[in-house]
Amino acid sequence: MKQALSERAVTERPMIEVIGLGHTYESRGVASRALEDIALTVQAGRFTVIVGPSGCGKSSLLMMMAGLRRQTEGTILVDGRPMLDPDPDRVGVVFQDANLFPWLSAIDNVAFPLMLRGLGRSERLDRASAMLELVGLGHAGARYPSELSGGMKQRVSIARGLVQDPPVLLMDEPFAALDEQTRMTMGEELLRIWSQTSKTVVFVTHSLSEAVYLADEVLVMSAHPGRIIDRIEVELPRPRTYEMMATATFGQLRDRIWRQIRSPQPGNPA
Amino acid sequence: MSPSAIRWLIGGILLVLWEVLPRAGLVPQLFLPALSQTIAVAIADWRIFAEALAVTLSEAAVALVFACGGGILAGALLGSVARLRGLLLPVVSSLYAVPLVVLYPVFTAWFGIGAQSKIAFASLYGFFPTLLGTAAGIQTIDAQLLVTARSMGATLSQRLRHVVLPAAIPTVIASLRLGGALVIVGVVVSEMLTSSAGIGYLITSYRTVLDSPRVYVGILLVLLLGVLLDLGMRLLEHAATRHRPSAVPRRAAPAI
Amino acid sequence: MSRASMLAARLLLLALALGLWEALPRLGWVDDEILPPFSAVFVTALQLLQRPAIHGDLVTTGLQLGAALIISVPTGVLLGILLAENKRLAQVCEPLLYFLFSVPKSIFLPLFILTLGISFWQKVAFGCFSTILIVLMSATAAVRSVREEHVLTARSYGATRAQITRHVYLPSMLPVLLEALRLAVIFSTTAVVLAEMYASRSGIGQQIASWGESFMMRQLFAGVLIVSVTAIVINEFIRWIENRCSHWRS
Repeated sequence: MKQALSERAVTERPMIEVIGLGHTYESRGVASRALEDIALTVQAGRFTVIVGPSGCGKSSLLMMMAGLRRQTEGTILVDGRPMLDPDPDRVGVVFQDANLFPWLSAIDNVAFPLMLRGLGRSERLDRASAMLELVGLGHAGARYPSELSGGMKQRVSIARGLVQDPPVLLMDEPFAALDEQTRMTMGEELLRIWSQTSKTVVFVTHSLSEAVYLADEVLVMSAHPGRIIDRIEVELPRPRTYEMMATATFGQLRDRIWRQIRSPQPGNPA
Repeated sequence: MSPSAIRWLIGGILLVLWEVLPRAGLVPQLFLPALSQTIAVAIADWRIFAEALAVTLSEAAVALVFACGGGILAGALLGSVARLRGLLLPVVSSLYAVPLVVLYPVFTAWFGIGAQSKIAFASLYGFFPTLLGTAAGIQTIDAQLLVTARSMGATLSQRLRHVVLPAAIPTVIASLRLGGALVIVGVVVSEMLTSSAGIGYLITSYRTVLDSPRVYVGILLVLLLGVLLDLGMRLLEHAATRHRPSAVPRRAAPAI
Repeated sequence: MSRASMLAARLLLLALALGLWEALPRLGWVDDEILPPFSAVFVTALQLLQRPAIHGDLVTTGLQLGAALIISVPTGVLLGILLAENKRLAQVCEPLLYFLFSVPKSIFLPLFILTLGISFWQKVAFGCFSTILIVLMSATAAVRSVREEHVLTARSYGATRAQITRHVYLPSMLPVLLEALRLAVIFSTTAVVLAEMYASRSGIGQQIASWGESFMMRQLFAGVLIVSVTAIVINEFIRWIENRCSHWRS
């Protein structure tokens, strides 16, 4: 497993670069610093988790990476180019709610981005069904969102995020609305999909265990102002297993994140 | 016995009573003519009723275009522009308290006793509820879906066509359903008040000569018309909202 | 926009509408026989309100409306609660009630004349008939809006039946019932005015209809103005109470 990590290190290439990002928003005349001096680099193929208390701006950061929110200070480069508008060729997004279109079947939901690009129907459906297969829903393409469970919806949403084969997948608390058991399964599933597709994943969550379980690297954010106060390399071997959650290493990592969030110490080793 | 069986039984008993009570002299024939007599009159006079119904229907159709066209457009505008909604929605719901029927004499004074007045009144009658229904429905469109589409690089026109339009369809159909019901009532009420043709006119003129069976036939026909329209719209609604558990919130139709 | 500026904007809008009403006939763009200017209508309305005959009409209409509400609202609420508390009854009746609810009530007006003649009680009866279903169904909804968890919580603290009624049921149901009252007023006003316009010897509705038939446009518009303003004022008053009683709602 150490071998695999070092192999990846050989092909290192920055996929996402955030340089001097800041954001101030005003509400009732009071300026509030949502993001301050965010700098980070995500290497291609890495799984990065951003964790932090609510209101720390982690979702804002992700939305800016997706080109869905305007950047006011600083730059975000994805695949070497600025990310000013949504670009499905570079970035797929999975939201907290699956946000499936209720009037489309699962397969049509996955094919939706391709339809926007004007692809022919048969090619759309071919690619969409391959994606559904990847997320383990090959049998459910004809079902409508109202006929799917929460976990299944989120799988469809992931398939939709991957259908255009973007190098980057951004996930904004995708499992937050799911129950604990589904959440565990989905985490496992996500890691399997990630290892099969070698995407660069940035995953936002407020669950510490989820962060440690999934990540190559965990970025810890604090609120007011929203900044990155710690970076933690998770050197647990892959594939990750449920049993690892009971190990001392896992506990120490989770403990370190919790201490950071509870009493943020600005200027901590970053 | 299942609830629906009981309902059928109640319906059956009511029909039997409708026949027996007047025949037995327990209820004056003036108040309630026997069912068989009512049906006989309907069959004998079917041509007169059919012609009147055609007049009413054609006027209702025109009014439906105005009421729903205007109501859906204005409702979509109010539903999608938050500032406008904040400004005008309270005004619209205040106006909703006004018994619109007092305006009918104004219309007959302006346009005379004919189709124009009836169409004007029925259009107005259907307008406000359609507007309120559409505005409420448009607001239920999930903003997250629009963000999602944007994350896939959908252009504005693509978002309108592939997200807003399909999301709004149930609302539009529900508005048509509500508007259709109201417009028919609007036409019939104006015909009952002052007019020279249509099913409402027929009902009133039979009432003044105390021809109960024909009054009942007229009322039943209007009811039937409403039920059929509602059924048709419901089928359409059902087809359009098959996969949406939480479609448009059902608004109580002010069926006065 | 703040609430104050919102209100100001609405008042401006009202002023614009009234200004347009005033200007159109004054500038000769519309015949003032067709649309008398607002000021003239307003003056006519004030004059009408001083006439004893109009007082009589307004009192008649008000009495009919009041009687219809006094009969239909309590009856509707009681029947609604009964329906909500009795599952079997609800299963049988609710589809029927939904159907009746969607049926236009106004077309039954001639039947009320055939059975009761043209009279005070005929209008009251028609008003009740038009109103009772909305009250009944709102009351059912009100009972169902009481959350089981709240009742359970109260019971777990040893609340008596009376206490639960007083402290859980009533506050939960009150806003819905007030909304029902508001709708009941709207529905029965429409019903009574329509019944007066259709066939009557007195009442403001009858006056409006006869002014219309004799092309007395000033009086007609004045009548419409009086009815509209009264209806809006009553409606806003009930809504004000509603808001005060449900401040804790979102």
